Amino acid sequence: MNPFIEIITQPDNIAIVIMIIMVTFFTLWAFQQAFENDRLIAAGKPVDGENEGLVDTFKPLVRIELIIALAVMVFLTFWSIVVDAPLEEIANPTLTPNPAKAPWYFLGLQELLVYFDPWLAGVVLPTLIIVGLIAIPYIDINPKGNGYYCFNDRKFAVITFSFGFFILWLLLIVIGVFFRGPGWLWYWPWQEWDHARVVFEPTRDLSNVFGIDSRSLPGFIIGAIVVNGYLIGGMILPYRYLKDKMPEFMKQFGLIRYLVTASLFITMMAIPVKMVLWLVFHIKYIWITPWFNV
Amino acid sequence: MTTENKNNSSYRVYLFVFFSVLLFILTLWVVWNDEFGLRPWKKYQNEYKSLKHAQLEKDYQKAQNDFTKSGDSRTLARLEAQLKKAQDQFNSSEVQQKYRKLSTQWADVHAEAARNQKELQTARGLYLETEYYFTKTQKAGYKKKMDDLQKRIDAVSSKASSLQKQEESLKASLAPFTSGIADIQAEIEKMKSPLEEKKERIATSDKVPVEIKQVYIRDVDKADRCQSCHIGIDGSRQISTKQPFTRHPASFVFLKNHDPEKFGCTFCHRGQGRATTSVEKAHGNVKHWDEPMLEGDMTQTSCLSCHGDVKHLRGAEHIAKNTELVRKYGCYSCHKIPGYDGFGDVGPVLTEVGTKVNYTWAVNWLLDPKNYFATARMPKFYFKQDEAEAIADYLFSMSGTTRHDADYSADTPDEKLVEQGRSLWSQARCNLCHMTNGKGGNNVKVYAPDLSKVGSKANKEWLFKWIKDPNAYFPGTKMPRFRFTDEEIKALVEYLVSEYQDDEAEMKYPTPSEISSASIKKGKDLILKYGCYGCHKLQGMEEMVQVAPSLMSQGVTFLKGEEMREKIGAELTSIGSKPIDMLDFGKLQKAIPNDRLSYIKQKLRDPRGYRLGLRMPDFRLSETEINGLASVLYGFTDNNIPSRFMVPSRQELDKIAGVPSYKFTGDFAKIINDVKCTNCHTIKGIGADYAPDLSVAGSKLQESWIRNFLANPDVIRPLLQQMPKLGLTSGRAPAKITMPKFNLGIQNVEDTNKSDVDVVLNYFQQELVTPDIPKEIPVITTLAIEEQIAKGKELYDQKGCRSCHQLGNDGGALGPNLSNVGNRLKAGFIFKHLENARKFKPDIVEPNYGFSERERIYLTNYLMTLKLNAK
Amino acid sequence: MKNPTDIKEKVRKNLIWKSVFRRDYRNTVRDRAQAIFGNIFLHLHPVQVREGAVKLRFTWGMGGITFFAFIILVITGVVLMFYYHPSIDQAYSDIKDLEFQVPFGVILRNLHRWGAHFMVIVVMIHMFRVFMTGSYKAPRQFNWGIGVILLVLTFLLSFTGYLTPWDQLGFWAITVGTNMGAATPLLGYQGPFSEFLHITPFNDVRFALLGGSRVADNALLRAYIWHCVAIPLVSVILMFVHFWRVRKDGGISKPQTQK
Repeated sequence: MNPFIEIITQPDNIAIVIMIIMVTFFTLWAFQQAFENDRLIAAGKPVDGENEGLVDTFKPLVRIELIIALAVMVFLTFWSIVVDAPLEEIANPTLTPNPAKAPWYFLGLQELLVYFDPWLAGVVLPTLIIVGLIAIPYIDINPKGNGYYCFNDRKFAVITFSFGFFILWLLLIVIGVFFRGPGWLWYWPWQEWDHARVVFEPTRDLSNVFGIDSRSLPGFIIGAIVVNGYLIGGMILPYRYLKDKMPEFMKQFGLIRYLVTASLFITMMAIPVKMVLWLVFHIKYIWITPWFNV
Repeated sequence: MTTENKNNSSYRVYLFVFFSVLLFILTLWVVWNDEFGLRPWKKYQNEYKSLKHAQLEKDYQKAQNDFTKSGDSRTLARLEAQLKKAQDQFNSSEVQQKYRKLSTQWADVHAEAARNQKELQTARGLYLETEYYFTKTQKAGYKKKMDDLQKRIDAVSSKASSLQKQEESLKASLAPFTSGIADIQAEIEKMKSPLEEKKERIATSDKVPVEIKQVYIRDVDKADRCQSCHIGIDGSRQISTKQPFTRHPASFVFLKNHDPEKFGCTFCHRGQGRATTSVEKAHGNVKHWDEPMLEGDMTQTSCLSCHGDVKHLRGAEHIAKNTELVRKYGCYSCHKIPGYDGFGDVGPVLTEVGTKVNYTWAVNWLLDPKNYFATARMPKFYFKQDEAEAIADYLFSMSGTTRHDADYSADTPDEKLVEQGRSLWSQARCNLCHMTNGKGGNNVKVYAPDLSKVGSKANKEWLFKWIKDPNAYFPGTKMPRFRFTDEEIKALVEYLVSEYQDDEAEMKYPTPSEISSASIKKGKDLILKYGCYGCHKLQGMEEMVQVAPSLMSQGVTFLKGEEMREKIGAELTSIGSKPIDMLDFGKLQKAIPNDRLSYIKQKLRDPRGYRLGLRMPDFRLSETEINGLASVLYGFTDNNIPSRFMVPSRQELDKIAGVPSYKFTGDFAKIINDVKCTNCHTIKGIGADYAPDLSVAGSKLQESWIRNFLANPDVIRPLLQQMPKLGLTSGRAPAKITMPKFNLGIQNVEDTNKSDVDVVLNYFQQELVTPDIPKEIPVITTLAIEEQIAKGKELYDQKGCRSCHQLGNDGGALGPNLSNVGNRLKAGFIFKHLENARKFKPDIVEPNYGFSERERIYLTNYLMTLKLNAK
Repeated sequence: MKNPTDIKEKVRKNLIWKSVFRRDYRNTVRDRAQAIFGNIFLHLHPVQVREGAVKLRFTWGMGGITFFAFIILVITGVVLMFYYHPSIDQAYSDIKDLEFQVPFGVILRNLHRWGAHFMVIVVMIHMFRVFMTGSYKAPRQFNWGIGVILLVLTFLLSFTGYLTPWDQLGFWAITVGTNMGAATPLLGYQGPFSEFLHITPFNDVRFALLGGSRVADNALLRAYIWHCVAIPLVSVILMFVHFWRVRKDGGISKPQTQK
């Protein structure tokens, strides 16, 4: 069978296909409504639903809830009749499957393992994701766009969130499910998985690029400068820039809120940065310390 | 607003109805699946039931037809007429009047008795209650009450016995009224009962519920539900030959010894015992289930899981035959295999091979053993010319001593010696083990080399030394030491070299100093890489440096003990249960089915096919051998089988019990080691089954006969009864086979005064005896011995003994020739043998005639008269 | 009695009917309101909602669907618990028997498995919707935080359920997952700075998660209890906080344009 068909028809992967379809549909719908509202605002008209009145909950809402519940039940029952939940061989601690994949919703994190050490990819980054998500309402002080779809009024928020949600979360999941094979090597959907395939990618650390041993003191210093420079510079430079260009906003925003926002933002951006460093320059570590490597 | 709302709500109603209907349909689908779709066994069970119903119905019809045709039906009609008459008589008014009167009386008495019984129960209950209070309080009032109650009980029970008597007498007077009818009814019942029973059986079988049938084995959490579809597998009758309804084949061996209720199915057949939802799942032919079902002969592979010894196991013939392949090719030499660690080396000792063979031959042999002779067991390693030469260089340098004599092949053979050798060759029956030019070699299991071209392989001097004392060159060899004189050996060697010569062979014997040390080193590396030491003895080669000082100076080192300790191949202990993901299909991932059996077969077919750099040599097995070996390997599992299912072999049991395995002692042990009796004979469980078992020979054979036979072996049985074991299938006709002449007695073992024959005979009488066989037979005094002999002869003719046994030239050739049995066997053995031939030979074909003791005495006495006068 | 309306009337006047439904429904404003706050399940809702809440295009119904999926999972999960022993000797064959032996076992397990996948998908889309409509903004900041925690709990519910069949898939997914715990800074034995706290494989985070240093019987029991008792309990409590806050923060968010 075509390897692509084989992969997407695996019982557990059908969920991913359903996810892709649903996410695509709702994303399009969300942005369609957002742009529609943008047009209305630009024209000075009220946005969708702004001038709505009230309706009784009983029965319009109760009825629609019932119908949706029925539809969901129909959908799940059909799915459950047609596709059987897989059960693999009995657990065997001596036999590691290749690849050993985490549950699909964690594959984004597993994908990060390629680029980061486990303490970062598996612990620090997920923690920051949760903290960052919870922090969103407190750092987004933009009063616009509350209660309706819109894009123009909150471009930064929507773009940043969409980048995190679609690229760093969903895309990495899709990559993990469909494009990763034995040895966590990249396989195109039309490629056969080859368990014997060996890929050797020579790696180096950042300071090696300049001919300095990354485990030596100079290497350590270079790494420290680069990492801390990224973190500190990533906070100071935009601050100066914004203070210059939008003093009014920054005054309202406040220093602490700025620091939290900036640190979360540059941590998130560190992920694609590190991916590029790895994929393009084969750089494994930027900073090697006796305790951890970044 | 209102209209819009209305539109909205109406389309919502449609949606509601639509989804409700859909959900309802899906629910029906779920129910259908649960009732039928996922329960295919229901269909099978119903089909089986209807088949069984039809069969039982047929039985019933036949029985009914038989009944109608037979005289029984007329008897039945007569009985029914009688019954009618008796009933009419009983129903006539006067009889009825009397009968009713009596029965009313009886009913009254019966009711009275019942009331009385109730009264008795009450009195007894009150008594017990009062007794309790009395015991507790010790008050006199209770005592008095107890006495009263006791009186009441006595009165009531005496009334009860009188009532019972009345009742009985009334019943007795009632009985004659109906006894005639009852008798006839009983008779009718009895006549009909076989038919009724058959009818009943139909009803019972129809009532068997359709349900999952399972065998659950708690300690391994095994639930085998195979019988849910294979419903007739242990039935008493074959209902249908169609799957899944058939009975288990040969169930008298398999199911009788492995009660399905205790063993289930999957211990032997594997597959997924729990599965009930589809045939593929149940048979384990699905993804994520590593144990596909085994069928047919292949199932015998599972015998190995529990049975320590399958050699003489009934029903395990296929696997027993194939385990021999593991020995033949010496798989255990390179792979660790449980239960195969006690065997000797598969290949000959190589420490002094340089004194044995010529260099050119050695190189050619390494390149392809089958070029020398087709039945060679040594595999092909696909060495290149220079690699083969390097190994030969190493082996020759190791052997140290230079070859002394010039090339023998150039000599003109001494015709006289050759002739003498030829006659010795046939006298010693060398052909029994060694094949030459496609003939001989019947005793296949000793795997003696083909000697067709031996003259171009080994030199005369080595051959002489070898025949003179094989143990000296190769301790533990299977080659016996024939006690030839030096002249005889010379003649034999001369004969071998001149007769079995390949003229094209180039003779070359390099001395160690001619060999380059670089080549030796290369050879050593190759030997280490391919693990030649697994099959060939190379131990102790580190000391060989001493014999070749010239090499030592060049820095040549030889293999050391520790370098050869590890087995070179993968461990095979649990190859039969190895997870599929652990099998490396390499290049053939897509080319062959990814299951364990296919993997093993392909590995045997092309050992280096999966990927580059594999080392296993190519044994060039036939497809039959591949299947056979694969079925054995597939049986090496580490499946968790409870110890109560284990059947250890004799040796394992002895080991557990601390019983030392049998060892030959004294001079006899030396003779065994010398003459290798156990190459052919089994003695006390040791040895091969090519020739008769000698474990109880002392009780069986007469001393004088043994002495004669050893001096001059003769044909005892024209056709051995174990014909297949002779390899008839491989196309070799069974020749008239007899034992080689070993010339025992010509030379004594060391310095004892007794001759070898005496040692053997003594050992036979002392050790190889059994108390089961009487020394003498019972004597019948009432009949003259001549009469007894005559009666014995009569029996011999009468029972058709001659169809298998020969007397003179008359009779069949299946059993041993009995012409000289009176000289050969002891009377006690014959007597015992006639009682139960299987006692000493479980697989003997001789039937058990069930002779009485007297008959056996007659026969024995007759047989003991059958003697040929010594030549 | 001949007239069907008579029967209907009779039934409605019946004491039992009245005890259950209290009063007749006459499609008046009062009765419509009564239908909501007189019903324990429906009084989650306000009596009146804004029109947008009834239209699919705003909420997509995702929050409600998540809750419904949760209910399906609880029901199927409870029934599955009847057929399951959390021990490594029995777990696998129990799951096998769901297919081969248990009435409606196949559909039960499939519903639970696919329902779980479905819930994870839906809850992510719900978060996306709430972000896109800016519904986390004042006064709903806190409820967004609850929602994030519920999202994490949904992942954890699904993750702990992975191990229960005790097959290769679950075993290795859990092994890979919990090995991350070993890399926790300070508290995992492979994590940075752990040596300062004398952390070993036998006292680190991973050990606490698994109840041992490797995935075995204890890990299965822990996964089972997290999956069936602890996380659902916390989830239910947080869910009701979530719903309560939706009501208290003004129901489904509505456009609050700055004018």
